[in-house]
Amino acid sequence: MEAQIAKYLEAKLPAASVTITNLLRIPGGASRETWMFDAMWENEGGEQSQSLVLRKDPPASLLDTDRELEYAFYSTFWATKVTVPRMRWLEQDASVLGGPFFIMDRIVGCEVNTRLPQTPAYQPLQPVMAKNLYDILGEIATHDWTSGPVAKLLEPPSPEESWQRELGHWEAIIDAEELSPQPVTRAAIRWLRANPPPPAQRISVVHGDFRVGNFLYQPDASIHGVLDWEMAHLGDPIEDLAYSFNESWWWARDGRPGGIVDRETAIRLWEEASGLKADPAAVHWWELFNSVKLQGIWLKSARVFQDGQSSELIHLLCAYGLINSQDQAMLHTMGRAT
Amino acid sequence: MRPNLSRALQGVGMTLVSKLLAEIRTPFGQQEAGLAAQLSFWAAEESERAADRLVIETRATRELLREGLLLSGRARPAVEAALAAPPAPNLRISSLQAENDAVRKGLVELQAGIEDNPSPAARAFNERIWAELVESTKRRAFAARL
Repeated sequence: MEAQIAKYLEAKLPAASVTITNLLRIPGGASRETWMFDAMWENEGGEQSQSLVLRKDPPASLLDTDRELEYAFYSTFWATKVTVPRMRWLEQDASVLGGPFFIMDRIVGCEVNTRLPQTPAYQPLQPVMAKNLYDILGEIATHDWTSGPVAKLLEPPSPEESWQRELGHWEAIIDAEELSPQPVTRAAIRWLRANPPPPAQRISVVHGDFRVGNFLYQPDASIHGVLDWEMAHLGDPIEDLAYSFNESWWWARDGRPGGIVDRETAIRLWEEASGLKADPAAVHWWELFNSVKLQGIWLKSARVFQDGQSSELIHLLCAYGLINSQDQAMLHTMGRAT
Repeated sequence: MRPNLSRALQGVGMTLVSKLLAEIRTPFGQQEAGLAAQLSFWAAEESERAADRLVIETRATRELLREGLLLSGRARPAVEAALAAPPAPNLRISSLQAENDAVRKGLVELQAGIEDNPSPAARAFNERIWAELVESTKRRAFAARL
């Protein structure tokens, strides 16, 4: 793979010779393969080097999302308060590396793991991390996307229909991918259709996977890169807020979003940062929706493993470990279990 | 087979955690070994309980379908198909799972129909369906947690 990446970069930089070192697959990530490496080359300015990250579509992914769109969302927020890695190249030709991919700068010296913020030593910094996190989410919610690259690729929903678009999208995935009937998920979908949320206050960029675990941070709890934009879309900004509350991200198992902040504080921080209101009915609707959405992802992971499209253990883990947990989360949200 | 499959898979998981994980140098390799260990522990639990879990759940669901069909008020093809189908022809997990899938498909249809029925009897019956769904998630939960 080093030789293929070097050849690709030689054409893109351009440079007569590029050397790739320290190529390592980054753990995590069930929807894209993520690799980090260092590239070195020479040009008229002398020796150059850059730490880079490559995100590549695997043979079977949990998300059939468009990497051009993901690239556009990253690019949208480059050099804004929503820190993201700088995008370098997007390659749609699968013959180069065996799947479409893009390459971005690597942000070095940061952590991404979810365990460190739960350690006793880190607890005093949890409020700082929470404020930074929901400040960023407020920035995403109020960002003017209308003149950026996303506007050229996406038709925005109306405030009244954003929920229908998202629910329809994920219900179709569940219809296509479930290996066994899902009574709890189906009951949740019926409830969501029968009890629509209030219209969106505005149509915003929705990150779609905004949670502790999807950003780079330093030991002082400052956030230096929001990652994993593959589910980003335009819609109701409450969707992202509610997503961060999902039980799947209760890393401390104590009911606190991300294991770092209680939910009331998170809502207050988000409202202060965005100037928007978190209507409780809307938050509740989007919380349940996000469990349905996540169930769609876990069911897809079960499907690709069962069908032999993937033998990635992360897909099996999602299937065995998370489908039932998501059912339990839905039951809790619907007030059916404690 | 002895040691039984549950114990064998526990042993595989323990070996991965206690002997192999520390030998692996890359973060991705460590993640994969950790996942393999976790999955071995879950597979150990499931290998022991799967048949029992499926039989209990299928029986409970079949009972709900029988009673609920009378309340649902109109044709419920998935419910009727599940009730008309013969029981699993053997004790293979795949056969028990297929029977379970059929009755759970019927349950989805039945509950959707019951929700449209405002009568107190239907509402009370819906609570019984919810109780079974809560129980089903407890049956499927693993003791060995992520």
